[in-house]
Amino acid sequence: MSSNRFGQDAALIAIEKFKSGRIDRRSFLTAMAGLGLAVAMRPGAASAEANEIVVCNWGGAALDAFQKAYGEPFTKKSSIPVVIDGAGPETGAIRAMVDSKNVTWDATDGGMTDALVLGKGGYVEPIDYSIVDKSLVGDGLAAEFGICNYTYSNVLAYDSKKLSTAPSSWADFFDLEKFPGKRTMCKWIQGQLEAVLLADGVKPQDIYPLDVDRAFKKLEPLLPNLIFWESGAQSQQLFRDGEVVMGNIWHTRANLLRKENPQFTWTWNNNLMFASAWSVPKGNPAGKKVFDFINSSMEPEGQITLLRIMGNGPSNPKALALMTEEDKAVYSLAPENAKTGLKISAQYYADNEAALQNKFLDFISS
Amino acid sequence: MSSFQRWAFGLTVPAALLTICLYVVPILQVLALSFTEPTFGFGNYVEMFGSAAIGRVVRTTMIVSAVTTVLTIVMSYAVAFALVHMRPAARRVALFMVMVPFWVSVLVRAFAWITILRRNGVLNSALVGSGAIAEPLELVYNQFGVIVGMVHYMMPFAILLLYANLSEIDPRIIQAARSLGARPVTIFTRVWLPLSLPGLAIASLFIVIFSLGFLVTPAILGAGRVLMVAEYISVQISSTLRWGVATALSTTLLLVVGVLVAVAARSPALRAAFEGGRR
Repeated sequence: MSSNRFGQDAALIAIEKFKSGRIDRRSFLTAMAGLGLAVAMRPGAASAEANEIVVCNWGGAALDAFQKAYGEPFTKKSSIPVVIDGAGPETGAIRAMVDSKNVTWDATDGGMTDALVLGKGGYVEPIDYSIVDKSLVGDGLAAEFGICNYTYSNVLAYDSKKLSTAPSSWADFFDLEKFPGKRTMCKWIQGQLEAVLLADGVKPQDIYPLDVDRAFKKLEPLLPNLIFWESGAQSQQLFRDGEVVMGNIWHTRANLLRKENPQFTWTWNNNLMFASAWSVPKGNPAGKKVFDFINSSMEPEGQITLLRIMGNGPSNPKALALMTEEDKAVYSLAPENAKTGLKISAQYYADNEAALQNKFLDFISS
Repeated sequence: MSSFQRWAFGLTVPAALLTICLYVVPILQVLALSFTEPTFGFGNYVEMFGSAAIGRVVRTTMIVSAVTTVLTIVMSYAVAFALVHMRPAARRVALFMVMVPFWVSVLVRAFAWITILRRNGVLNSALVGSGAIAEPLELVYNQFGVIVGMVHYMMPFAILLLYANLSEIDPRIIQAARSLGARPVTIFTRVWLPLSLPGLAIASLFIVIFSLGFLVTPAILGAGRVLMVAEYISVQISSTLRWGVATALSTTLLLVVGVLVAVAARSPALRAAFEGGRR
């Protein structure tokens, strides 16, 4: 579910880029018009014609970004139009669609965890790897019920003006003497306890299954110095206001902070890497054709377009060769950034997220 | 029924239908879900009453609601009392100022409080700058901040309810008390206060019920550290997909509010408040 929130947040980031003039007005208006259309005439059962691909994502400016990155290149090749529906493919919504046999989406933009949960429940088709080329994406990014469409990370961001030395690891996050000041962590569980356990000296390869009790014990003394963020915009605001000196936040937000004011920056050291994924709801209207679209969406050019508009990183390692230095600096899978990165286990969260999320909320509020 | 009455009755039908379709039916669905998701039976209620975590959420909700209600009522009473004693011109200005927060969304008000209360905020900067304190105070992202935000939200409602009640008290009674030699304190405790009990009762009931279901203000000003029932329900619906427990908790909350209203409606003070207009 964390990646759903990330998807929504990425759309907000594109809006901010427009405000600061980094996306041209025309493409922004197209996106907004698209949003209006998507709301006014949500592709219902009738519009699910065989000759189009309906992609569901989190709306806002991501409508236009997905169209540019994934839709246009596919339409150019196949002459099949791609419709982006910004309704938000929540697992509950997909489940309801499949249950009522009224599926209108061909591909949905969710997290790897969602793909696993939906796959287990029988709500999505397995990815057809006879059509989709598995080798296009990096290691571990192609799963039975989902294939990675973009990546992102949680990073340790900090205010270099308020700290005399730069923190370089999650252990520093817990060092109140050397780095005094408040910190921020996310209220949503994915990627939080991993950082705590790394700080406590757990080896990256031993992180899963999470030792929750150990993590809570380590975190407890820090609680009075923690503010928990809920939305990406809020995590950014806490830094701007000078409320926190350090935080575990999305790299896209850390990047916006740095662009705004170079005193804010982040370290890729021990970044926590997430994979977002395409899933195909069971009984999707376009049938097997959707896999041609998915295969096409793995092409590096389109993925770099998405990186430049929204900050979402390519899942195809070949994209790296086409990147400028500026692109690489914000790409979590660039070799120098990924060196010490930890991959978030989608399987672990598919099995444990609900219970763990509640335990975490209970812990931080008491 | 006369034909006019039939017409008048007919005019209420659309509103009634809307209410039934958009309010009553979904509530019944929620009730049904609490017994059927994920399996049929009382499982969700058993889980709810057995969970220590939910117990803590309920306790936080009760403490915050109780403190909010007491503070809101005391401060609003003072304001309403002052309103009653103002000249009409001053009262118009004062009432306008009471109404202003109504036009500002709850979200904006919560963020405004953050700007005031945070460590580098308006209040702390002023206090530190003037030398009154050495270190900024922890005024937000805790229970204190949540209560400040909630009291601010509730006060206009309470002031208007109390003002309506106090302004109906016959000034001749006060004159009579005075002419019989009662001192101001006595007049307040033995005349004003007893006569304003209906207003106090209805305002308190209103604030308690409103507080129990508060979502936005605790979520923003509490920043994860103050977890109340409404937010807990919202997380279970949208994040953890434990709809069974969420709907069981919503149903219980609705029931508690219903019982509160029923009990209050039996008290003479509140009956007087409800019937006040018909004297």
